[in-house]
Amino acid sequence: MGNWFSLLNGPQTMGNGRGFWVSFCAVILILVALPLFADSYLINNIGFFFVWVFMSMGLSLLWGYTGILSFGQTAFFGVAGYAYGVITLNFGSSYGLTFAALLVAVALAALVALIIGYFMFYGGIRDVFVGIVTLSITLVFETFMAQTAGPEWAIGSARLNGFNGMSGMPPLTIPWPGQEDIALEGQYLFWFLVALVVCVYLGLRILVNSRFGNVMVAIRENPNRAEMLGYDVRRYQLIVFVIAGALAGLSGVLYTTWGTYITPSTMGLTAAALPIVWTAAGGRKDLTATLVATIFLVWLSQILAVKGSQYALILMGFILLVAVMLAPEGFVVTLVKKIGLLARRSAPKATSVSERKLADSSSSS
Amino acid sequence: MQAELLAFLYQWGDAFTFLVLSAMGLAIIFGMMGVINLAHGEFVMCGAYVTVLTSRLNLPLPLCMLCGALTAGIIGIILERLVIRHLYHRLFDSIVATWAISLIATQGTLVFAGPSIEGIKTPFGSFMLGGYSFSSYRVVLMVIAVLVLISLYLLFMKTKYGVHARATIQNPDMARALGVNTNMIYSLTFGLGAALAGLAGALYAPTTTTVPTMGSAFIVQSFVTVVVGGANALVGTAPAAGILGVIQSGLVAAFGQTIGQIGLLVTVILVVRLLPKGLSGVFSRSGNG
Amino acid sequence: MTPILATKGLNKRFGGLHAMNGVDLNVERGELRCLIGPNGAGKSTLFKLILGTYPPTSGEVWFNGENITRLLPYRRVEKGISIKFQVPGIFQDLPVAQNLLIALQHRLSKEAAKAELERLLALLDLQPARAQRAGELSHGQKQWLEIGMAIALSPSLLLLDEPTAGMSPEETFKTGELVKRLNQDGMTVVVIEHDMAFVRQIARKVTVLHFGKIFVEGPLDEIISNEDVARIYLGKD
Repeated sequence: MGNWFSLLNGPQTMGNGRGFWVSFCAVILILVALPLFADSYLINNIGFFFVWVFMSMGLSLLWGYTGILSFGQTAFFGVAGYAYGVITLNFGSSYGLTFAALLVAVALAALVALIIGYFMFYGGIRDVFVGIVTLSITLVFETFMAQTAGPEWAIGSARLNGFNGMSGMPPLTIPWPGQEDIALEGQYLFWFLVALVVCVYLGLRILVNSRFGNVMVAIRENPNRAEMLGYDVRRYQLIVFVIAGALAGLSGVLYTTWGTYITPSTMGLTAAALPIVWTAAGGRKDLTATLVATIFLVWLSQILAVKGSQYALILMGFILLVAVMLAPEGFVVTLVKKIGLLARRSAPKATSVSERKLADSSSSS
Repeated sequence: MQAELLAFLYQWGDAFTFLVLSAMGLAIIFGMMGVINLAHGEFVMCGAYVTVLTSRLNLPLPLCMLCGALTAGIIGIILERLVIRHLYHRLFDSIVATWAISLIATQGTLVFAGPSIEGIKTPFGSFMLGGYSFSSYRVVLMVIAVLVLISLYLLFMKTKYGVHARATIQNPDMARALGVNTNMIYSLTFGLGAALAGLAGALYAPTTTTVPTMGSAFIVQSFVTVVVGGANALVGTAPAAGILGVIQSGLVAAFGQTIGQIGLLVTVILVVRLLPKGLSGVFSRSGNG
Repeated sequence: MTPILATKGLNKRFGGLHAMNGVDLNVERGELRCLIGPNGAGKSTLFKLILGTYPPTSGEVWFNGENITRLLPYRRVEKGISIKFQVPGIFQDLPVAQNLLIALQHRLSKEAAKAELERLLALLDLQPARAQRAGELSHGQKQWLEIGMAIALSPSLLLLDEPTAGMSPEETFKTGELVKRLNQDGMTVVVIEHDMAFVRQIARKVTVLHFGKIFVEGPLDEIISNEDVARIYLGKD
């Protein structure tokens, strides 16, 4: 266990020092305390931001760390969201079934990712073509779901409902002995989301700083060379693709329980662009940057949604464009690096950031 | 029997025409600069919107369509100069950047022109043959598709631009050393690709609803055609459209739209697996120029 | 004695181009073999066929008495073959030390890898650059880093494709000494080279490829004084 703990810091993540972790804990404390003195509107909104974080961290894993650009993450989002809806509308929410539904839905998304990923990576599809294939998959899903309006399109008692989407599914509930099930809404959902984000974030940090993570970045840098070092590149690509798919699915289920509602537009082309914007704008090669950027940009979209969500999307497009042209490493990453440079210039004796990181990683047991 | 054959030929011709017209612009840009233009659908949309809007000025339809294509072309040149030019050696970034442009274009159109605008009617009506009814306009489009192919062939083989363009595709450094203004070639070619996309949008505007997201109906088909056809637009795109036309019209007739799309998807996967250079690789040794 | 590497009737066509035309190469364990020949003779193609980058049109590749023709490249690497490509294939964005660690971690535990990392950095003279982005190294250093990654696998057969391309005479000499040392320690090495001084420095047996076939094979002195060899080279030079 201590071994894993040391992997929280490493070459693949920024923010390895004491300052970072202290701030991190402080932020968590603030978040946990927030529902006690903030109104429910704010809590619900912040909870909404957290819903999306899993999908973009998954994309960061896939694109930033392993070099696989997928336009299809929203497909897994939708599969899991609808699956949750179908299961809970059919079987109800007692006995903690909603959590079982969550697990099954995420597993289903992972399974779909496994199948698609297998055909792609073991079928020799690489680079750009992965983007094209996943783009096509997104479109196929969107078109398919949009034409499921008729009553014949139902699984059990859950109608798919075409463009209007599925609604009325129960939120996540925890069965409590001796009393009614606790519904995870409002502040309970908020705390649940915070805990989930922290766990997933820390887990992913450990993953990317481990040997597995080293192979991920090796594949990103030079897949041929990675293969010539004896790594089965396809297997690593597939595993990362499945993890990213599962994370997108997790976002999908949480979105569905947050709003008790899911539509095909969440699986569409425009929706597929959003995680790409968030990861590119923050810095796809770093989990923390992606996390921060996602929360900020979703918050920004919310503010602009008052004017009309289309404006928010135009802005997102521009942010993406500017990021690619001017800050290809991402705004957050570029900012942190610039600050790091400034710090180094004012303290010339300090070792370079990367040297310190290497020293950290090789001296930790 | 004859009527069935004609009906099938019509279906195939219709699919072929759609694929050729929608993919040609993308193929040329990809073949020349290796750029995957994810804003391709939006140039199509631009052509359609301009066509519809200028038709309200009561100009003759062909002129409106020309305006549509030209507008798309000019916007293409501007975009190439501002954005694409900086991303030639950064493939992923050019994909993401063009997607950003696509997002801006669709949402911008949505904001400024609303969720849809009233389109134009399909001209020429229909004719009957052996119990089947065919749209005359779609037959006209088939003729136009062939004319476009011929014109492009002449453009690339017989004009100065064409010679310079082919030289640049083969070996940009060498072309530059021989005095070709490769920057200008890239701009013009991107503009040409955009104009062809706009032309597709213009030509199909009378047959579809003009909504900001209409481009998405064109991109999957275009991408699949380019993947199957390979980097050589002159040699690969038309045969690819031909083959895919058969696959798609067959699948759609038998199983419906979604299966048709899935069929194309499966084709992409198979082709990438078995023929990574596409038909261009089959027809010419280097798969280029 | 089974040769460590044996190709049997290896053929490779690329469309109309017959790149490999029936090659029967046999390399004994512990050899230091040089592969020379004019441009386009098929040397790199042969390496890629041995590694499995693409399958042969016909023919077989045998390693340590085992038919590896059907195996994927990473499996062949696991069996003990390692390659350094012509164009430096390193992880540009990652620090030098991490490049080597990734090569080492596949077969070594964390502690053993760390120790081996120090040894390699010293051997390759890359200690001062250990934290530098690999993409920022000089060309010669990049070549050395990739050689380091290739030997980090502790292979029984090492393939080097023009390891001294772009190197200065001093760097070339150092590379030659390194290759000889690796061979003395038991590694079988096959080197593709154009630099005849380098070949003279390290080779004992030389194979000459021409038009995808083995033209002639023999001890270094014989090859050097062979008039036919000079002729096929002169034709290009």
